[in-house]
Amino acid sequence: MLYLILALISGVAGGLLVLLTGRNRHSLSNFITLFFSASAAFFCWRVAFLVFAGERVRFGWKPGELQWSLDPDPLGAVFGLIASTLWLFAAVYSFGYMAGKERQRTYYAFFLLSLSVTVGVAFSGNLVTLYLFYELLTLTTYPLVIHDRTSGAVRAGSKYILYNLSGAGAILIAIITTHSCVGNPDFADGIVLAGCDSPVLGWLLVMFIIGFGVKAAIMPLHRWLPEAMAAPTPVSALLHAVAVVYSGVFGILRVVYSVFGYELIGQLSFSKVLPWLAAFTILAGVLIALRQDILKRRLAYQTVSHLSYILLGAFTLEPWGLAGALMHMISYPMMKMTLFFCAGIITEKTGETRISRMAGIGRILPGTMAAFAVAALGMVGMLPLNTFWGKYYLMKGSVAGGMWPLATVLAVSGLLNAACFIPVVVNAFRGVRSPDRTGGDALQGGEIRSGTDSGAFGDGNDGNVLSRILKDRRMALMFVPALLLVLMSIVTGLLPGIVWPGVQAVTDWFFQ
Amino acid sequence: MLVMILAVPLAGAAVLLLLRKGDKNIISVASAAVLALTLFLLKNVFGGGPVELAIHLHGPYAPVLRADPISALFVVLAAFIWFAVSIYMPGYMEHEARPRSFGVWTLLTLTVVEGVFLAGDPVTMLLFFELMAVTSYFWVIHRGYKKAVRSGNLYLFFSIAAGFLLTLGIVLIFVATSKLPEVGAVPATPSDPHMFGWGIALLVSGFAVKAGAVPLHIWLPHAHSAAPTPGSALLSGLLIKVGAYGLIRTAELAGCVREAGNGVTWLGPVLIAAGICSMLGGVAAALLQSDAKRLLAYHSISQMGYIIFGLGIDFYLESARDIAFTGAVFHIINHALFKAALFLGVGIIYIRTKETNLYRLGGLWRRFPVTAVLMLLAVLGITGAPGLNGYASKTLLHHAAGMAAGTGSPWLVWAERLFVLTGVGTAASFAKLYYLTFLGKPSDDTLIRNPGDDRVSGRMQPGMNAAMALLAVVMVGIGIAPEFFVNTAVIPAVGASDVDKAVADLTYLAFWSTGDVIGMVITLLIGVLVCWVGLRYGIFHRKFPVWLTPEGLVKLAVQGISRLWRAGTGKYTVLAENAHESGSAVKARLYSAIRKFDRSRSSTIGGLRLTGISADAAILFMILAILILWYTIIDPGLHDNWLPFIRPQ
Repeated sequence: MLYLILALISGVAGGLLVLLTGRNRHSLSNFITLFFSASAAFFCWRVAFLVFAGERVRFGWKPGELQWSLDPDPLGAVFGLIASTLWLFAAVYSFGYMAGKERQRTYYAFFLLSLSVTVGVAFSGNLVTLYLFYELLTLTTYPLVIHDRTSGAVRAGSKYILYNLSGAGAILIAIITTHSCVGNPDFADGIVLAGCDSPVLGWLLVMFIIGFGVKAAIMPLHRWLPEAMAAPTPVSALLHAVAVVYSGVFGILRVVYSVFGYELIGQLSFSKVLPWLAAFTILAGVLIALRQDILKRRLAYQTVSHLSYILLGAFTLEPWGLAGALMHMISYPMMKMTLFFCAGIITEKTGETRISRMAGIGRILPGTMAAFAVAALGMVGMLPLNTFWGKYYLMKGSVAGGMWPLATVLAVSGLLNAACFIPVVVNAFRGVRSPDRTGGDALQGGEIRSGTDSGAFGDGNDGNVLSRILKDRRMALMFVPALLLVLMSIVTGLLPGIVWPGVQAVTDWFFQ
Repeated sequence: MLVMILAVPLAGAAVLLLLRKGDKNIISVASAAVLALTLFLLKNVFGGGPVELAIHLHGPYAPVLRADPISALFVVLAAFIWFAVSIYMPGYMEHEARPRSFGVWTLLTLTVVEGVFLAGDPVTMLLFFELMAVTSYFWVIHRGYKKAVRSGNLYLFFSIAAGFLLTLGIVLIFVATSKLPEVGAVPATPSDPHMFGWGIALLVSGFAVKAGAVPLHIWLPHAHSAAPTPGSALLSGLLIKVGAYGLIRTAELAGCVREAGNGVTWLGPVLIAAGICSMLGGVAAALLQSDAKRLLAYHSISQMGYIIFGLGIDFYLESARDIAFTGAVFHIINHALFKAALFLGVGIIYIRTKETNLYRLGGLWRRFPVTAVLMLLAVLGITGAPGLNGYASKTLLHHAAGMAAGTGSPWLVWAERLFVLTGVGTAASFAKLYYLTFLGKPSDDTLIRNPGDDRVSGRMQPGMNAAMALLAVVMVGIGIAPEFFVNTAVIPAVGASDVDKAVADLTYLAFWSTGDVIGMVITLLIGVLVCWVGLRYGIFHRKFPVWLTPEGLVKLAVQGISRLWRAGTGKYTVLAENAHESGSAVKARLYSAIRKFDRSRSSTIGGLRLTGISADAAILFMILAILILWYTIIDPGLHDNWLPFIRPQ
């Protein structure tokens, strides 16, 4: 229980400490950020291992009539692990990215506060606690979205607040309805709505899905997400590809498997529609992404698409589907954060944000673009990378659930993902960088003189790519997290057994 | 040992990458080591039994490596072709940019190709299959010009699509049999035969993409002609054989449960039809090519057609099973040998003359006498001239086709006729290739008598002709004593149900029966005649209407789809803009209404003027309204405890 509390308050404590530091004590605030992110991650791992071992870690508080509780089950533990571990990577990346930028104190303070709140979402033990942290997450991340204070960022922030608070409103209604039927039991005690025989269950599910669907970016509730890309890149990478959107996805997983339970939800007619809604979002998201020219927006729409992979797995109501959803939940952020990190490096180093102007950038940033290339293949879901396993289990789940077209949707989406990113990579390495930066089709240049062309293993000047990167401290801080994520995803792709205990614990928990 | 086969080229690649000055010999040393290892493995497997290495891991993936006779044969074949090409490479790559990068990818591709052949479970096979797509992609784009990059992208996308087809197939078979099938083992009886059939269909189409079967071959001519020659030789000689190997394994998987009534009877006819289409389509397209490498690439499609045809007969006709399967595997080996040799020969001419257009070459036998002789052997091999290896496997396949035609089914009779027709086409197009390159009159005399070029770029590397000679020696060896080779290597490898009977059958269907030899010679003569007529009357230059070729059809389809897509997205954009406009109008009206409402209210609240109501407040207000609506009108049943926080049950 102590671990639970420590995991939760690490972020808050760190955030407050950062606020206490002097305005320009950057290295101190960096140290505080790193220390408290690491401690949160450490305690999350401790809690998670206790939970996977079958122990119940609970902290409850009942000040009045309302029961607050922190009571992670395996699903919560997995989410806590993902969020707190990736936070470390984003923190290190931030040190490089934010160096020399304004308002660093605010940035790190809210960065750490959001960590606490995300861990709270993961570990919350009942619906009311979940709602509290879910709502808080919107508020603590809002300052990060409007960090640049440009008019675009502020407008994006308004949209962010508007969408997310409306969603929370829907959840509130649903929670009150649930409460009136069954009270406020812990998730770990069993299915929340078991024994509730109300005629409004279908509508309740609709309310929950709409509410959590805003953060999970189910189309057509996704429109805040591309706008939120106005935030600094580490925030986009961590919050708008992982933490914030995952809290929506996590909410839906909770609703499907803890609140309703897969048996009850299978009887509701609305649940038959849900996988197809996810499939639609998968295809539409990536199709829209194909048309974006700003790299971060393309990534954002692709996030929309990939979040629905997880939802699709959850909605199949099959053990394999849930396993696929969790596998994807674990593996996808590694690749997605790599893509965002690389996008951030490109923008910082060359000032380019548009894909059409990125031709030939691989010559300037070979290491970055190599990491980007691997992550692009990861988005496709090819084998040496861990995203394959998510896709594989999702396909199994949908076929076993009698919905084989969903499996083909996944395959087609993989191809579209390839069309989304592989040309970017090829163009970066093979295209010609136009000197006047007017953009346009870089391959128009015709035959490139191969002599000046250094590919991934360009003869003569290779081997020192890494050492050149490491010499530039800021670049190293940004590049090393991306590289580590790529390595992690290759390792877990070849040895999926590493993450399997967590996945199995969750599927066993819900399908006993 | 299985791990060693994979580790040696990987280590070679690492050494090559880490050395400051790349040593040219590393590639051939590593390939030679792999060849030695694989020969040793072959001996063990043929003598003892399957060699297996299972890595027991917790979780969803426990990789298995296994070498049974058929995979051992493929492993040796790959190592041998790689070795031959690695001898050739240093000389050739002097004329290309970044030889070291090319060498690294070559060794990595060797690793993954051996991995595909050694994989003992489908997921490992898929792993290496996907890696192979990526590593060989770098061959295709190596030259870096626009067309090469586009060909490479096409290749990569087709490979990724093939990977997804395979993934889906594995998933379906897994679900149908509730167990991950093993490569080359009897699968569990499917509880859902229908789904099992679909799984097999997906696997077949996935591997057919890699094998270049018509109509999934679109990527092949582009990719194979864009790569530098050693890459082309390996792509055409070996990488498409991975598709054939996959088809063999899939047929095995389907055939093991053939009797269980699992609804895969369609497999034989489909493979036969695909084989015939590939044979004819490939040859027809090859006849029209003017570029030597593209011509060879189209012939790869055609020759893969023979192999797929053989596998189809194997699956379709019980009585012809052994001979068809033996013929198909034999032809895989032979095609790897002569196709690699042909590409290498064309490469030698290319680096000296910088020309692959046949109509600009000619009379080159004077400048390249050794290459001309070796090329002649390879050409005779692929056309199936008696005395060379192509003759032996084509004869076996022809016998299988004859047995199929003997069943009297009219379309099988036609299949046999088309088989012969393909032979004529092959002879014609290779007569054209050889005549235009080595014999005919060049359009440009400098090509023959310009030793200055040779002096400038140094002496001709002996390794290049040596590599061709190595391949040619094996070809001639097999060609002279096909019975020996088939009995010692192919029949044990295909694991014919009854080896003794199979050997007896093949002896009965002797390779050197007069009828076969005469038939083949007549085929060749007709081919040469066709070539003469074609060159004389310029038929080979004729442009065919675009809808007649598969590429053209696909191009038309793509154009149509993209037009539809553009129209659709255009409509969508207009629609979205309209919706956005009307949305903004509604929003503006709503805001002004709220403001008006707000202003009118503000007068009633004494003194307190609430202007500029924020979006948040509006939303909260609306939520409140919905809440009230819900508990009063929509669902009044919950009236009693509508404030649960205050009065819980």
